[in-house]
Amino acid sequence: MAEATLSPITQTTKIAIIGNPNVGKSTIFNFLTGLNQKIGNYPGVTVDKKIGSLQINGENFEILDLPGTYSLFPNSEDEIIAHRVLNQTKLEQRPDYVLMVIDSSQLSRGLFLATQLIDLGINLAIILNMADLAEKRNIEIKTFELFKTLGVPILSTDARNLKGLDQVKTLISQRNFAKAPGFVDIRQVIPVQMLDQVREKFDLENAYQAYQLIRFGIKDKAIPSSDRAWIENLIKESGFNLEDAQLEETKIRYKKITELLTKALVKKAEPKPKSNLDAIFLHPILGYVIFVGILLLIFQTIFTWASYPMDLIDGLFAEISAWISGALPDGPLTRLLAEGVIPGIGGVVIFIPQIALLFGFLAILEDTGYMSRVVFLMDRWMRPFGLHGKSIVPLVSGIACAIPGVMAARNISNWKEKMITILVTPLMSCSARLPVYIILIGLTVPDEVVLGFVNLQALALLGLYLLGIFGVLITAFILKLVLKTSEKSFLLSELPPYRVPRWSDVGITMFEKAKTFVLEAGKVILAISIILWVLASYGPPSKMELIQQEGEARLENVFDETQIAVIEAETNALLLENSFIGIMGRAIEPVIKPLGYDWKIGIALITSFAAREVFVSTMATIYSIGGDLEDDLTIREKLDQQINSNTGEKTFNKATSFSLMVFYVFAMQCMSTLAVVKRETKGWKWPIIQTVYMSALAYVMAFITYQIFI
Amino acid sequence: MPLGDYKPMTADTLPLNKSGKILEILPSPLKINLMELGFLPGKKITLQHMAPSGGPMAFKMDETLLALRKSEASLIRVELI
Repeated sequence: MAEATLSPITQTTKIAIIGNPNVGKSTIFNFLTGLNQKIGNYPGVTVDKKIGSLQINGENFEILDLPGTYSLFPNSEDEIIAHRVLNQTKLEQRPDYVLMVIDSSQLSRGLFLATQLIDLGINLAIILNMADLAEKRNIEIKTFELFKTLGVPILSTDARNLKGLDQVKTLISQRNFAKAPGFVDIRQVIPVQMLDQVREKFDLENAYQAYQLIRFGIKDKAIPSSDRAWIENLIKESGFNLEDAQLEETKIRYKKITELLTKALVKKAEPKPKSNLDAIFLHPILGYVIFVGILLLIFQTIFTWASYPMDLIDGLFAEISAWISGALPDGPLTRLLAEGVIPGIGGVVIFIPQIALLFGFLAILEDTGYMSRVVFLMDRWMRPFGLHGKSIVPLVSGIACAIPGVMAARNISNWKEKMITILVTPLMSCSARLPVYIILIGLTVPDEVVLGFVNLQALALLGLYLLGIFGVLITAFILKLVLKTSEKSFLLSELPPYRVPRWSDVGITMFEKAKTFVLEAGKVILAISIILWVLASYGPPSKMELIQQEGEARLENVFDETQIAVIEAETNALLLENSFIGIMGRAIEPVIKPLGYDWKIGIALITSFAAREVFVSTMATIYSIGGDLEDDLTIREKLDQQINSNTGEKTFNKATSFSLMVFYVFAMQCMSTLAVVKRETKGWKWPIIQTVYMSALAYVMAFITYQIFI
Repeated sequence: MPLGDYKPMTADTLPLNKSGKILEILPSPLKINLMELGFLPGKKITLQHMAPSGGPMAFKMDETLLALRKSEASLIRVELI
């Protein structure tokens, strides 16, 4: 032991966790890695690569959480990842060990994948999770029987109730994994000669690896094209039907598993019929009422709960800015800090409550098993619009943020349905629109309760969300007529048993999403806030100097404090109008005037193309520049005081505010979404099409709105 | 079961809350997807839920509830039991 401490092992052991969907894989991953998680990318695909780190007795382990899959047959992008990681031809990139998680109450389905892994010759250990469910169903598993046949270590856990998880850690630290002899002999279904040829050429360990390469290698773009051509040629020459072989393998594998389970599985008694929640949640009428009710509840909760921390954050950053400009000597650096950096950071931090809450609710819906019921209920109503029942998950996620929404669309295997989902998801009102909505609703819609319980502001917010959904359906329907595909659409999914959500997992999701937002979007927002401040503080030097000099000249011989303040404010307004940003805003004013916007809003439209929430921080920057920061006016109060120089009325009157809200319902205005769509669709074609159609839609709808309310 | 009662049918025509024994999965690109989920000859499936107006159907098989569209269910040939 002393040796180990003297020369610590610096090499990291790589362990991959794999399993069917809904088996508690992520609970185990979260238990092992806690908050030491990183989200990265796999090359060429858009599936999140979730990696966590774990230290046991000074040794480092890297845990890779693979997407849920039923088999090694790569039918969807998620499955391709599992397939690719485990069939990795470059040995150093392959995980050292694999931890396979199986739902104890769904043994045969889990063993289907597990025995495929065994056949691949992987260093494996099996976790029989959800022991509580098996118990409830009166199933007894003879672990030793399983072990005798499979030949890999097997552990029993109940991750949800934190039972047996320490054993998982022990198993990892002792590297208690094993390479077992094969389960199904693939030479029963594929000519031996063919397998040997492939094994030899690619230097593969066993026949099953060769089979995987023959069957799926030709579709895997990660394999050099010359090798793919070689395999294709081999298949052609043999004249062998690989699809039939795959079906045959499936049959044989399940048959052997069934034989194994007759020995290893004891059904003690028929389980008691349990209360059937699906009778309510999948009810042809009640089911939908409950779905809408749940959505309403979520939005109302977010609206009320998030407002307290948001007000606190808003006030706090206003105070910090005021304190800095009072405490530090006046100069460009102090102003950059007080007027650019601090409000910029505040503009990022203020979203954390909403984002965390939204992702928390989505995690609960997913974790309880309710989300897949929604897919079941909605499929019929999504299909006329060219969408899939599964599109409901990206669309509902889009309420939090289009980025995870667009990424969730990868679960849809049909190209056309996936494309339509990706293209319309950003029309769902995301949380980045919320601050824009909330500020504008706060300015124009009275905080009143009608009919005893309906808050008018909440009603306006709901209206905007519904408008977004309306946009989604219409656009999807048009895209359905435009896009062409020969692929067949299908729905095959499990409706997992209802469970109490794992609160620690929900918590980790909330934390991770908020962290990702702050680190990813936050960087952009902060950078833009600073650029903005520079653009707003500087302009063509000759003109700026002239204004400055004129202002100083006017201040000579004036000693009355109020008068000084008025002159200073007028000078500052002139400076802003002539700054670089003022010039840009003025340049687009003729285009946006029919929508009821002035050049200051024009500036915000330009800057918020990077991200919608920048609208708010831009407003904060624009209106705090030259203003007296010490009087602690918050953004909303400042906006309410603005007068439109064209009309002489309040800038944010009903017509303009409504027009702006409608604009933000439809406009793309998010660089990060664009980047994700580019990655998902592997090119600039679709993100450009998306931006153009959304901007045009936003312009037309905002114009109509302004004309109605003016 | 008397021989006269033997009526081959597909799973989409099963009456609600009735069970069928799978006879075969009809040829289709989806055959492998159905099989890897465990839809195999000899298995018993029970139609438990139907989404309204021709929407998906949920079958109970081995204690799991699986959702399929009508068109997919029509690939599963069953006999009523």
